[in-house]
Amino acid sequence: MGDIHEVPRQRIATAHLAQNIGQPVCFVGRIEKIHPSGKLFVLSDGEGKHTTVELNEPLDEELSGVVEVVGRVTNQATIMCMSYVQFREDKSPFDLELYNEALKIIHEFPEYFPFG
Amino acid sequence: QRMRSQNIVPCTVSQLLAAEQVDETFRIRDVEISQVTIMGIIRHAEKAPTNILYKVDDMTAAPMDVRQWVDTDVSTGFLTRGENVVVPPGTYVKVAGHLRSFQNKKSLVAFRIMPLENMNEFTTHILEIVNAHMILRKNLMVASRVPQSFSSAGIGDMGGYGGGGSLPVNGLTAHQSQVLNLIKNCPVPEGMSLQELKLQLHNMSMPTIKQAVEFLSSEGHIYSTVDDDHYKSTDAE
Repeated sequence: MGDIHEVPRQRIATAHLAQNIGQPVCFVGRIEKIHPSGKLFVLSDGEGKHTTVELNEPLDEELSGVVEVVGRVTNQATIMCMSYVQFREDKSPFDLELYNEALKIIHEFPEYFPFG
Repeated sequence: QRMRSQNIVPCTVSQLLAAEQVDETFRIRDVEISQVTIMGIIRHAEKAPTNILYKVDDMTAAPMDVRQWVDTDVSTGFLTRGENVVVPPGTYVKVAGHLRSFQNKKSLVAFRIMPLENMNEFTTHILEIVNAHMILRKNLMVASRVPQSFSSAGIGDMGGYGGGGSLPVNGLTAHQSQVLNLIKNCPVPEGMSLQELKLQLHNMSMPTIKQAVEFLSSEGHIYSTVDDDHYKSTDAE
């Protein structure tokens, strides 16, 4: 899985990409489109803003719904994905807007939700 | 005065790693914690004869070791029908357990590991962590404003202190601590009345008693109940 899973990965939304260039991050968003090559997909966050996620290897499965990506922010403010996981929505849809509100809270109170 | 959280405290892995250890206990923000919950994704699962070792990752630090002991004689939790069900890597789970430290490495001993069926629970957990730790900190700040009350043995008998006792010891004068002790030990629901205090404290004048009551009340040691003549102690005995 690589070293990135052994370090803190700040949970961010699209608006925070610019200030996290080079940093390991965790991004949760809804799949908007997947590039035909399978090496790139676009996610929307809880505010509807889009983030591009790049992969080293093309996707080998159909991805849809809400995905949590772990990766590093590139200089172009995209995310180089090291791993991802699909959030299960078989019983209940995931409220991405609420998750975005929670992100605002943990960014406002890092002393009560520390990364690292 | 030790503060202990009676509840299960939701935490991040990073908070658990930063918890201070004093002998057998752990503290976060000076509050003793024992039972905690974390939520994260299983990165690794290893089954041994007597336990299952998971590595649970919530992104705030490296994945944490979570050990679930398997009782081979009795079915416990999700290990039913004698089968050890291992939760597969890639599953988001909620873990409830006790914090442990061995050779400076922290881990959790889980008494419950449950896969999340609704990922919105994860969002709620994030908010509960912030809420719980904010409350822990507020409680700590309130507690530190109240001067530590000392045992009645030292001050209860007048002889030990002598005279009017105007020098405060641990924040309370002799008069104030006598008044406080009487109020503390009063079993009646509406608390102790000023008249009762006067009856019991022969050496003190009513103005002196009232002064002591006013001070104790402003410091948070006592509060008035049915009226301004009756007081109870804020200390839960």
